[in-house]
Amino acid sequence: MSFIKRAALYCIRQRLGTAVLFLTLTVIAVFLLTAVAIRDAAKSAAAGVRTAVGGKILLEPDTEGRMGGGVQNQWGTVYGYNGDLITQEIVNAISDVDGVVDYNSEDAAAYYGAGVDFKYLPAAFDLSYTPYGEASAYTATLSSEKCAAFQSGKYKLTAGRHIVPGDRHVCLISKELADYNGLSVGDSVKMYSLDSDSVAEFEIAGIFDGTEGASGNALTVDEIPANCGYIDYATMFELFKEELSGYQQLTIYVRNPDGVQNVCDRIAALPELKGKTLKLSVDTEEYDVVSAPLESLQKSVKITIAIIFAVSAAILTLLLTIRVRGRKREIGILLSVGMSKADIVLQLFAEAALTAVISFAAAVPLSIFAAKKAGDYLTAANLNVQINASYLLPLYIIGLLLIAAAVIASSWAVVCSTPKDILEKMS
Amino acid sequence: MSILEARNVAYSYDGRRAVLKNVSAAFEAGRIYAITGPSGCGKTTLLSLLGGLDSPTGGQILFEGEDISKKGLAFHRKNNVAFIFQSYNLIDYMTPAENVALTSKRPPLPILERLGLTREESKRNVMRLSGGQQQRTAIARALASDAGVILADEPTGNLDGDTAAEIAAVLKECARRSNKCVIIVTHSEEVAGIADEVFWLRGGEIYGGEG
Repeated sequence: MSFIKRAALYCIRQRLGTAVLFLTLTVIAVFLLTAVAIRDAAKSAAAGVRTAVGGKILLEPDTEGRMGGGVQNQWGTVYGYNGDLITQEIVNAISDVDGVVDYNSEDAAAYYGAGVDFKYLPAAFDLSYTPYGEASAYTATLSSEKCAAFQSGKYKLTAGRHIVPGDRHVCLISKELADYNGLSVGDSVKMYSLDSDSVAEFEIAGIFDGTEGASGNALTVDEIPANCGYIDYATMFELFKEELSGYQQLTIYVRNPDGVQNVCDRIAALPELKGKTLKLSVDTEEYDVVSAPLESLQKSVKITIAIIFAVSAAILTLLLTIRVRGRKREIGILLSVGMSKADIVLQLFAEAALTAVISFAAAVPLSIFAAKKAGDYLTAANLNVQINASYLLPLYIIGLLLIAAAVIASSWAVVCSTPKDILEKMS
Repeated sequence: MSILEARNVAYSYDGRRAVLKNVSAAFEAGRIYAITGPSGCGKTTLLSLLGGLDSPTGGQILFEGEDISKKGLAFHRKNNVAFIFQSYNLIDYMTPAENVALTSKRPPLPILERLGLTREESKRNVMRLSGGQQQRTAIARALASDAGVILADEPTGNLDGDTAAEIAAVLKECARRSNKCVIIVTHSEEVAGIADEVFWLRGGEIYGGEG
C-alpha cells in the first residue's frame, strides 16, 4: 500500500486528529495571508504616496562668500549676489534629465502691481504711491500648482487653470478680488509696476479661493491675502530685462523619492551646471513625513509575519510531535512489515500536506473576511487590504516546506529508534 | 540448506548485560520451529534479530546464506520475513483487508476468507473484531507477503484455548502448504507441541533443535 493511500486513510478515519490539524493550519494560513495582505497594502500605499508626493531637489545660488561689495542707491547700500544665476538654459537642461517630472520656481512678492483697470480690496490706509493707486504683491512662478499655498491645500483653484512653464502675461487672482471687480477667467487686467515703471496686461488664467476671512485689520492692500496673486515668470523676465537674468531658486520634482539622490547626481553632472556657483540639495521631508506611519506599519507587519511564522512552526512541530508520539505503535508495525523510515516520514508528511491543501483553500475566504476587517480597522491609514490570488502559490510552497520541516523535526526521535525499541516500548 | 540461520549471535544491552551468548540455530523452509524458555531469557530478542528488527552485537544472521545486514534490515523485513505478534499489531484505523494490503499487492479478501473472516468482517475496522479475528488478520498479513519466513511472537498468548489451537493449526498448515519456515516464540506447550523442532533458551544460550 502506497504512503499516499495510507495517509488518505489516516486523514479520513482519524477525524479528530485531522480536524485539529486542519483548524491549526487554517488559523496559521489566515494569520499569514492577512498579515501579508496588510504588508502589501502598506507597501502599495507607500508607493502611492511616493508617486503622489515625490521627492524634491532644490537648486539655489550658493551665496556663501559671493555677496560682493555694497552698492549705493537711493535706499542705502545694497549687497548683491555676484555669482551664477539659474538661467533658462539650466532649467531646460534639468527638465530633460531622466527622473525629473516637474519643476518650479516660486518667488514670493516678486512683482508689485497697481490695478490700472481694477481695484484692490481696501485696507486701513490708502497710500496711493503709484499713479494707479496702491500696489499689491504677486508671486512669480513657473508652475503655480507647485507653489506652497496650493501644495498645502491653503489655496484651491476654483476656476480656470494653473500657470505652467511657457505661459506669458497670465495671472491667478483670488475669488474675492475677482468678485470685487466682477472679473472672471479669460478677462484681462492691466497692472502698473513702479519697479519697472511699466504697465503690463495679464490674462486671468485661473481663480483660487482660500483667502476668505484672512484680511484681518490690514494696514495696506498688499497685507490682504485676497489682493495677492500669481503671475508667470516669463513676464517678469520681459518686464525687468537685465535686472532679472535668472531664477531665485528652482524646485525640481522627482517621481520616486527613493531615487532622488540618483537624479540629483545626474543633475549635478550636467555640463550646464559645471563650475557654476549653484548648490543642489535633496529634500524628501514631505515624503518622509507622509510615509513614516506607512513604513512603520510595514515594519511592524514584517515583524508580525516573522513572529507568526516562528510561532506557527513551533505549534505545528509540537502538534505533530504529539501526533507522532501517539502513533509509535503504528510506526513500529509499519517498520516491522518492512516499510522504510523514509516511507513512514513521507506518509506523515502526506497526511499533513493533504490536510494543508484543504485548510489553505478554506483559509482564503476567511482571510478575505479578516483582511476586510483589518482594512476597516486601519481606515486611518487608508489601506486597501486585499487577498490576492498570487498569494496562494507562495502560501502552498511555504506552508508545505514548513510542514516538511515540522514533520522531520517531530518524527526524528521515533524514526531514529530501531523497530525493536519501538515495539518493546509498545509492549 | 537452511533458509535462515543465526550464527554465533550475541546481544547485550549497553554492551554490559548479555541477553544472548553465542547463539547458533538453523531454520529450514516448510518446517515449524518453536523457541521456548523462561521469561526474560531472550526469546523475543532472538526473534527480533532473526527478523531484522535490530542488529546483533556479535555474530551474524544469514538469510539463504547471506548476511542480512548486507542488503539492509529494512530490505530483510520487507522481503524475507513476516511477523505475527502477541498483541496482533494491526493498524487500528484500517480494515483487515487494508492491513493485509500493507504487505501484499494481491487481493486480500481470498486469504482472509481462507483464514475464516467473512467479506463483511474483512471490511470492518480491525478494532471491532474479536481477538481471534484480529490474530487471523495478522496471520493473513504475514501469509500474504512473499516472505519465506514467518516469525510469530507468542501468537496465541492473548487467545482462549480453543482459538489458540485453531491459530496453531493455521500456522502449521501454512508451513506445510506454503512451504514457509515458521518460527514461533511461545510459552505454550500446546503450540510447542506442533513444532517440528523446539529450541530452549536459558541464560542467553540455546539448546535443543529436535522435535
